[in-house]
Amino acid sequence: MKIMEQELLRLQNEARQQLELLAKDDTLSMAQQQLEDFRIRYLGRKGLFGTIMRELGTVSADERPRLGQLANTVKSEIEKLFAEKQAELCGNAGEKKGRGGIDISLPGRYPERGRLHPVTQIMNEVCSIFESLGFSVAEGPDVEHDHYNFEALNIPAHHPARDMHDTFYVSESILLRTHTSPMQARIMESQQPPLRVIAPGKVYRCDSDITHTPMFHQVEGFLVDTQVSFADLKGILTVFTQKMFDKELALRFRPSFFPFTEPSAEVDIACVICGGKGCRVCKQTGWLEILGAGMIDPEVFKMVGYDPEIYSGFAFGLGIERIAMLKYGINDIRLYYENDLRFLSQF
Amino acid sequence: MKFTIDWLNEFVDTDGFSPAVLADHLTMLGLEVDAVTALFQDLAPIQTALIVSAQPHPDADSLSLCQVAVGDEVLQIVCGAPNARAGLVTAIALPGTILPGGVKIKKSKVRGIESFGMLCSERELGLSTGHSGIMELPEGTVHGQSLIKAVGLDATLVEVDLTPNRSDCASVIGIAREIAGAIRRPLNLPIENAVIDHANASFSVDIESSELCPRYCARLVTGVTVAPSPWWVRKRLLSIGLRPINNVVDITNLVMMEYGQPLHAFDFDTLADKKIVVRHPRNDEQNFTTLDGVARKLDPDMLMICDALQPVAIAGVMGGLNSEVSDTSTAILLESACFYPVSIRKTARKLNLSSEASYRFERGVDPGGCVNAMERAVQLLCEIAGGTAVSGGADKYGGQRPRKTLILRISRTSQLLGIALDAPRIIEVLLSIGFRCKEKDGDTLWVGVPSFRVDVEREVDLVEEVARLIGYNTIPTSLPTVQMSYPEQEKTRMIKAEIGAILTGIGFSEAINYSFTTEKHLQWLCLAEDDPRYRCLRLLNPLSEEQSVMRTMLLPGLLENVERNINFQKTAVKLFEIGKVFFPRGDNEQPLEKTRLAGVLSGNRFGGASPYHYKQQLVDFFDAKGAVEYLLQGLRLQGVGIHSSLSFVQSESSMVEPFVDLLQVLSIRTGVQTVGFVARLQPAVLRKFGIKQTVFFFDLDLDVICQLDAVVRSFTALPIFPAVNRDIAMLVPEFVAAGAMVDAVLAMKEPLIEHCVIFDVYQGDSVKAGYKSVALSVYYRSAQKTLTEKHVEKIHVKIINELGSKFEGTLREG
Repeated sequence: MKIMEQELLRLQNEARQQLELLAKDDTLSMAQQQLEDFRIRYLGRKGLFGTIMRELGTVSADERPRLGQLANTVKSEIEKLFAEKQAELCGNAGEKKGRGGIDISLPGRYPERGRLHPVTQIMNEVCSIFESLGFSVAEGPDVEHDHYNFEALNIPAHHPARDMHDTFYVSESILLRTHTSPMQARIMESQQPPLRVIAPGKVYRCDSDITHTPMFHQVEGFLVDTQVSFADLKGILTVFTQKMFDKELALRFRPSFFPFTEPSAEVDIACVICGGKGCRVCKQTGWLEILGAGMIDPEVFKMVGYDPEIYSGFAFGLGIERIAMLKYGINDIRLYYENDLRFLSQF
Repeated sequence: MKFTIDWLNEFVDTDGFSPAVLADHLTMLGLEVDAVTALFQDLAPIQTALIVSAQPHPDADSLSLCQVAVGDEVLQIVCGAPNARAGLVTAIALPGTILPGGVKIKKSKVRGIESFGMLCSERELGLSTGHSGIMELPEGTVHGQSLIKAVGLDATLVEVDLTPNRSDCASVIGIAREIAGAIRRPLNLPIENAVIDHANASFSVDIESSELCPRYCARLVTGVTVAPSPWWVRKRLLSIGLRPINNVVDITNLVMMEYGQPLHAFDFDTLADKKIVVRHPRNDEQNFTTLDGVARKLDPDMLMICDALQPVAIAGVMGGLNSEVSDTSTAILLESACFYPVSIRKTARKLNLSSEASYRFERGVDPGGCVNAMERAVQLLCEIAGGTAVSGGADKYGGQRPRKTLILRISRTSQLLGIALDAPRIIEVLLSIGFRCKEKDGDTLWVGVPSFRVDVEREVDLVEEVARLIGYNTIPTSLPTVQMSYPEQEKTRMIKAEIGAILTGIGFSEAINYSFTTEKHLQWLCLAEDDPRYRCLRLLNPLSEEQSVMRTMLLPGLLENVERNINFQKTAVKLFEIGKVFFPRGDNEQPLEKTRLAGVLSGNRFGGASPYHYKQQLVDFFDAKGAVEYLLQGLRLQGVGIHSSLSFVQSESSMVEPFVDLLQVLSIRTGVQTVGFVARLQPAVLRKFGIKQTVFFFDLDLDVICQLDAVVRSFTALPIFPAVNRDIAMLVPEFVAAGAMVDAVLAMKEPLIEHCVIFDVYQGDSVKAGYKSVALSVYYRSAQKTLTEKHVEKIHVKIINELGSKFEGTLREG
C-alpha cells in the first residue's frame, strides 16, 4: 500500500502549492471563484481527497487504521490552510451569500454601560490594596459622638487642634464626623491587638469653596502590634503609594502634627502634573500632599486600655477626592457631587 | 506665620542659603512653607522722584505745578498734596502704571495744564492709611530708581503654615532657632535672660488667679511722643501684612512678631490708682468696649485686666478703648504676660474675636520669655519714641513651674523609629534647638526642655523631636512583621460592590449626593406631615438652608441630578445611589443610620447606545421593574417565584408613597414587610424639581436586603425527557392582572407543569370592549417519560377551567 501513501503525500504537496499560488485578485468575486474551484477539486465530495478516502475501503484491515489516520491528518491540514486562505482573501465576506452583505463598519451592538462614581472606584482600589496586605475593612457611623471624634483621639475641648476641624454639630455632643479616625478608637476599644484595619467613609467639614466640599471621603488605616516602628509606617505607605500611583514616583515624609499621633507625618508624592519641576498645582514645590500619618499617640492607647510600653502602632488617613483628582487630573472638586453624566461617564 | 528673609537674618545669618533652600529646611522640619513670594511686585513700576520746583497752579489754589526729576527726565506734574515742595523725594506713577487699587495712570490735563504722571501717597500705594500728602522719602534718596528697592521693600516673604503645637515658631526668633539648628549657625538674640528689678515700682499688680495668669510683667515708660513709626519699623510690619498705626502700637506688634510674646500698651494716665488687677469681671461689669470700638458682652468666666475701678482690657485678646494709647499719651504701661490657653480660647470663641495675641496665647506662649520681650519693647520705646524707662517694674510669676526634665531612652527611640541611634547623635540634634541633655546611664538621657517648648511634655514628644531633627527621610523603610490572619470581609460591603457591578452593567451610573439636604424637598414630595421622614436631624451650624438637615431619603438628590443632566442636554438618565439616611433619636444620641439603594430612570431606554441598532424608545415602568428584578436575580435573591424571599405586590393605595403614580407602582416585600418601591413619579412632583419628562424610580432598604439569604446554589439533574408546550389564550376582563393568572396556574401545583409564561396581552378590534386577551404558554414535563398531547390534555383543560372560574375568563377561539 505504499502507492496510496505516496499518492496522499503527493496530493498534500500539490494542494499546498496550489493554495500558495492563490493571490488576492482585483475583485472579491474572482478570488471567491478561485477558492471555489480549489475546494471542488480537492475538498469536494467528488474531489481528490474524497476519492482517496473511498479507496481506503479496499485497503487491508492491517493497514487501514494507519492509512486512515494519515489521510485524515492530511485532509484536515489542507482544510485548515484553505480556511486561512479564504479568510485572507475575502475576510469574513467569504461566508456571505447573495449581494452586498453587511456593512461591518457599523458599530457593535451593546447596551450603554454605566460607571461607578470615581470616588467609589478609588475607594475600592485603596481598600483592595490594603486588603491584599491583610487589613480588614470596617465602617462606622457618619454621625458621631464628640468623644470618638475628638476626646478619644487626644483632642480635648478647647484644644487649638479643633481649629483644624470645622465641625458640623447636631447637638452639644453629637456631630458629623470630621475624619474617619474615630474608627481607631471604636475598634481598639472592642478588640485586642494585633490589629490591621482600614475604615473608609464619608466625612464632613463646614467649609465650602473651590478646593473644599462640605462632605468628602476618607480612608483611615491603622496597624497595632508589638514592635511596630515608624520605619514600618514608611514601608506600608510606600507600598501603598507605589501601587496607587506609579512605581517610580518619588515620595517624601515630613514632620507634621496630629494630636492622636506622635511622631506625626505628612506624605508627599512628586507632583504628578509637572513631574516635580514645580507648577501651579504643587504651588511650585514639586510635591503634592496625599496623606497624613503617624505613630499612634500613647494617650490614645491609654484611653482604650492598651499599654503603650507593650504595643505600638501607626495610623494614617487619606482623602479619596484628592487622590482621584491627582490620578485623573480632575481640576474642580465640586464636580464630584453634581453627578453630571458627562463627568461620571469618563471614569 | 509670615516673615521676611531680611528679618530672619537679624537673628541668624543665612548668607549663602537661598530662600528656596531655607524654605525646604523649614518644611522638612515640620514647619510647612506655604509660599515664598517676592513682595510688593505690584509696586514695581513705581519710581522715586525729586520735586525740583513747586509753584501754585495758576487756576487752582489747592493744586501745585511741579517740575519733577525722574532720573534723566524732568516732567511736569500737577499735584494736589499740601506737602508737595521743592527738594522732596517722593514716589511717582508714570503714565501706563496701574496702582494697587486698580487705577490706571494716564497723561492728563488738570485745569488746563498737562500732567505727565502722578505723585503718590502711601495710601494710594497701599502702604498705609495716611493720606495727609504724598509719600516722603528720606532726604538724599536717589530719584529715578524703583521705589521698592529704594525703601527696602524688595523683600522675600515666607509664609509658614504652623501646626497648632508649635506656638514657639509663631515668632521670627522661633523660626530662626530652627534654621540655626539646621544650617549649624549661631542664633543671635538682642536680649536674653533679662530680669526686672521689683523695687520702686510706681504702680502695683495684683493677680487673682495664678492658674489663669501664671505670669504678669509690666514696666512704665514716660515721656513718650506718639507719632508715626520710622520707616524701618513700618516696613517690617507692612511686609508681613500688618498695618502700621503709631510708634507705640507698632513696637508692641513688632516685638510680638519677633518674640512671639503678645504685648499690650496702656495709656498709664488712664489707669485709676496706678493699679493693675487681673480678675474676672464683677456682676455689674457686663459691657466693655474694645479698642476696635465694638461693645462686647462680658461673661463671668472671662479674664480681665482692670485698674482699681474697672476693666481696661480683655486679657490676652484685646485692649479696651478706655485705656487706649492716643496721640496725646506720654506715659505708657507695657504689659507682657502669660495666660492659661484654654481660658483665652474660650473667651475669644465666645466673643468671636480672634487676634494675633489670642492666637498665640491659645497655643501657649513661653512663660520664660515675658521679660526678654518686654525689655526689647522698652528699649525700642526709648530709642524710637523718645521715652524714658522708669526703673523697676512688676513681675508676678505665681504660676512658675519647675523646669521640665524628661527621660529619653535611646533603645525606645530607636525601636519606635526603626533606626539605630546612639547617644551622641541624639544629644547633638537636641542641643541644636535649645534642649539640654545629660547622659544618665548607657541607655538613658536626662533632657531639659526649654521653656518656649510648651508642647514637649513626654518622652514620645522627644522621640518626635529626634525624628524631625535627624530627618524623616533618613529613617529607613521596612515592612512590619506580623502574624498572618484572614481579614473577614463584611457581607454588606460585598453586596454593595455587587450591586454596583450589576447596575452599571445595565446602564446605571453611580451618583453620590451630599448627606445633608433641605426639608423643602420633602414638601415637594408631598409627604404627609406625620411621615417619619419629615423628622430630620438638623445641623446646628449649616452652611446654608439647602444643606441644613440630614437626608431621610435618597430620591430628592437623585431628582436634582436628573434635572441637572437634562439641563445639560443629557436627557437619557439612569442613576443609582447607595447611601445612608438618618433618623433622629434622642437629643445627644446618635441617630439611626440606615442604608438605602435608590435608582432613577428617564428618557431614552438605550441612552447613548447606537441608535442604528437601538431605536429611540423611552423607558417605561418595566425598565424600572426589570432593573430591580435583574438586580435581585444577580444577588441571587429571586424576585418572583415560589422560593422567593422578596415579592412584588400591588400596593393598596393607602400604603403607597404620595409622590407616585397610583397606576404604576409596585411595592417590594419580604413577608409582610415592605422593603421598597418601584414606581413612576407624579408629573406634578417632578415639575417642582424642574423636570418635564417622565421619571421612574426604585428605592430599597439595603439593610433588609443584606440580611436576606441568597438562594442556595445546588445542582438539579438535567431533564431526560422533552417538554411539551401548550398555549392558551383567555379572554378576561381588562382589570385582571396577567401576573395573577400565571400565579394561579403555578398554584395548582400540578407536578407536570414545569413553568408558565405570558407571551401576549392583546386588546383591540377582535376583542370585545372591557376585555383583553391574555396568552399563556404552559410547559409540561415528566421525569419518567416523554409526554404526549394526550398526557397533558387533562391538565390543560383543568387550567382553562381554573382560569375561567377565577378570572371570569373564556377561552379565546381562533
